Amino acid sequence: MKTYSLTRRLITAVLLVELCSLLALIGIASVYEGISHFRALDVMLRGRADSVLGAVQDAEDPEDNLMLYGTEGLAPRRDIYIVRDDRGRVIGSQGWPGGEQALASSDTREFRNLTVGGVRYRVIRRPGLRIVDPGDAKGGVARHVIILYGSRTHPVWERVRNAIAFYALSGLLLLVVTGVVLLHLLRRGLQPLYELAEQAGGISVTSWNLGPSSQARYVRELEPLVSAIESALLRLEQSFAQQRQFVSDAAHELKTSVAVVKSSLQLLTMRTRSAKEYEEGLERVRIDSERMEELVAKMLTLARLEDGAEQPESYRTVELGDVLRDVAEHFRTLASFHRISLVINANSPVFVFCDPDQLRLLCSNLIHNAIQHSAAGAEVRAIVSSRDKVARLVVEDDGEGISEEVLPHVFDRFYRGDPSRSRRTGGTGLGLAISKAIVLRYHGAIRLESRPGHGTSAIVTLPLVETTAERTDPGVVRNQETGVVAS
Amino acid sequence: MRVLLVEDEIRLAENVAHALRDGPGFAVDQAEDGQTGLDLAENLCYDLIILDLMLPKLDGLTVLRRLRERGDNTAVLILTARSERSSIIQLLNSGADDYLSKPFDLGEVIARAKALIRRGKGMASPALRLGDLELHTGDQSVFRAGNPIVLSPMEYRILEYLMHRPRAIVSKRELLEHMYDFNWVHHSNVIEAHVSNLRRKLGEGANPPTIENLRNRGYRLVLEYGNYKDAGDESG
Repeated sequence: MKTYSLTRRLITAVLLVELCSLLALIGIASVYEGISHFRALDVMLRGRADSVLGAVQDAEDPEDNLMLYGTEGLAPRRDIYIVRDDRGRVIGSQGWPGGEQALASSDTREFRNLTVGGVRYRVIRRPGLRIVDPGDAKGGVARHVIILYGSRTHPVWERVRNAIAFYALSGLLLLVVTGVVLLHLLRRGLQPLYELAEQAGGISVTSWNLGPSSQARYVRELEPLVSAIESALLRLEQSFAQQRQFVSDAAHELKTSVAVVKSSLQLLTMRTRSAKEYEEGLERVRIDSERMEELVAKMLTLARLEDGAEQPESYRTVELGDVLRDVAEHFRTLASFHRISLVINANSPVFVFCDPDQLRLLCSNLIHNAIQHSAAGAEVRAIVSSRDKVARLVVEDDGEGISEEVLPHVFDRFYRGDPSRSRRTGGTGLGLAISKAIVLRYHGAIRLESRPGHGTSAIVTLPLVETTAERTDPGVVRNQETGVVAS
Repeated sequence: MRVLLVEDEIRLAENVAHALRDGPGFAVDQAEDGQTGLDLAENLCYDLIILDLMLPKLDGLTVLRRLRERGDNTAVLILTARSERSSIIQLLNSGADDYLSKPFDLGEVIARAKALIRRGKGMASPALRLGDLELHTGDQSVFRAGNPIVLSPMEYRILEYLMHRPRAIVSKRELLEHMYDFNWVHHSNVIEAHVSNLRRKLGEGANPPTIENLRNRGYRLVLEYGNYKDAGDESG
């Protein structure tokens, strides 16, 4: 989409509205001007017609043969008039050829517009009475006269046009002034926005805040934007810090792991050794590199679980007990090696909807942990149950337990509660972090409960799938599983 | 020489300890967490402490600071997986003498360990000399007036320790502590045999540097028997 300027749009809108109002104003004003000017013209016409009538009345005319002539200065030169008495005789006229037709017309309105000789006039019809010989005893003879008096309309229109031009010019000036002032005001008004942009531009991985001096914070319209940016920044900062911590921890673990392999190899080459020593040394190097491999694999698993998008196409409805029994089967050897009995209690089917591989990983992590933290001859119990739309998996051991200060950190990445023990057993400190990531992915919850000296319980809850219709063929799952074991 | 190695990664600690015992023949004690490391450093005499930074219970930096706060002057070599400049500067400013970034070279660990021990005892050259006696810590060879002397590993270690502290009285216990790791008590009778063998091997020829045996006080490496007896008595 093309970029556009908000300022320009606002100013254009305001100016357009203003222009429309101006045009309306000019229209109304010109109508008013026209009416008032024509009224004034009419009043003037009345006066002038009256003065002509006066002249007719005052004229000395004993014979009743009055004739007015244009030379008498009765009317301005540009005006026209014609006077007729009731005997049909034109007794005076000025500049009006063919005035008789106008007189003869039946139009008896007081004012009318006429064109005489190509010039437009406003004409008044003024009937009057002339008393011939008023000195007579009977009071003289009354003679009716009709006066038509016209004045050019051109000057009136001229004045109206001037008024319109004046209004238009001042309107234009107003538009320009409005535009300039508006531009200035908008620029000043938008200053907090520019400031906000500048402060937002200053955000980097080393400085995550918008700056407390932000003027934008006090602008009501910008407040939602500012708080949205701030909360987004907070989330970003947290996730960034988390990522950085992870990378740093991962680098530390990897470097240490590489250091082990490297030093094991260097130890072999420090002096000549017997074939048996080399053999033993190389075996140690192999074990060390396998541990490094496991560490890398687990880090990748965790990274994928935490950052990767969900893949619902790999989700299945699986029976928790089936998966648990499968996993337990794999740990039989390890458990019997440590003389630990593995008890699975999963009688009623409990279905959950998830990626079967991830569920298997979860079960395997928990059981492995429980076995590692159990003494010889102890028991590890895995119990599956369901209640109120929640599937529940509990893995219990009777091991040494976890101390109170360690318990809050057990799900932290690379955290090892008991370093000497978990290092020796090859723990990477990622098992529980991975378990938690899996459970969270399916909107479940995981927690550890522990009584030091008495044992630990890992409690996992997952959303229960109530249907029994869609059930993954356990045979298929088992086949896949044996395939993994064989490899 | 006795070294304390504080490292929580067991396999790495095993390898470093093995290399230090095998190569320069140091006695190495191992600790797997910071607290144990600090306790050991406080209660035993070490010539060098090799300290990992990321440690359970007490991190390496804290261990280092506590040591220096208590006036412990033992040389400290830090092993770190962090290579940011700021953390290195912080380390050195907190009293570390040297550092190595993981993954390090075992040969470098040994070389730096030897250099730090030398410096800690006021020596600069890897070849120690006293009179016509010469000891090369590089290849662990000993010469008397240019003639090589063949010593057993334990005899070499005793001589090396004494040559780092010439003319000073070194108690039998100190010698034991610096030659053996935790199990030194079991070796207490053996050390006398080693010293007497060493004395015999050194004592051939004219003007020999000799190991004096000061009753109930310890041993002293001197240029000529009797020369420093009075001074030794005064100092004792």
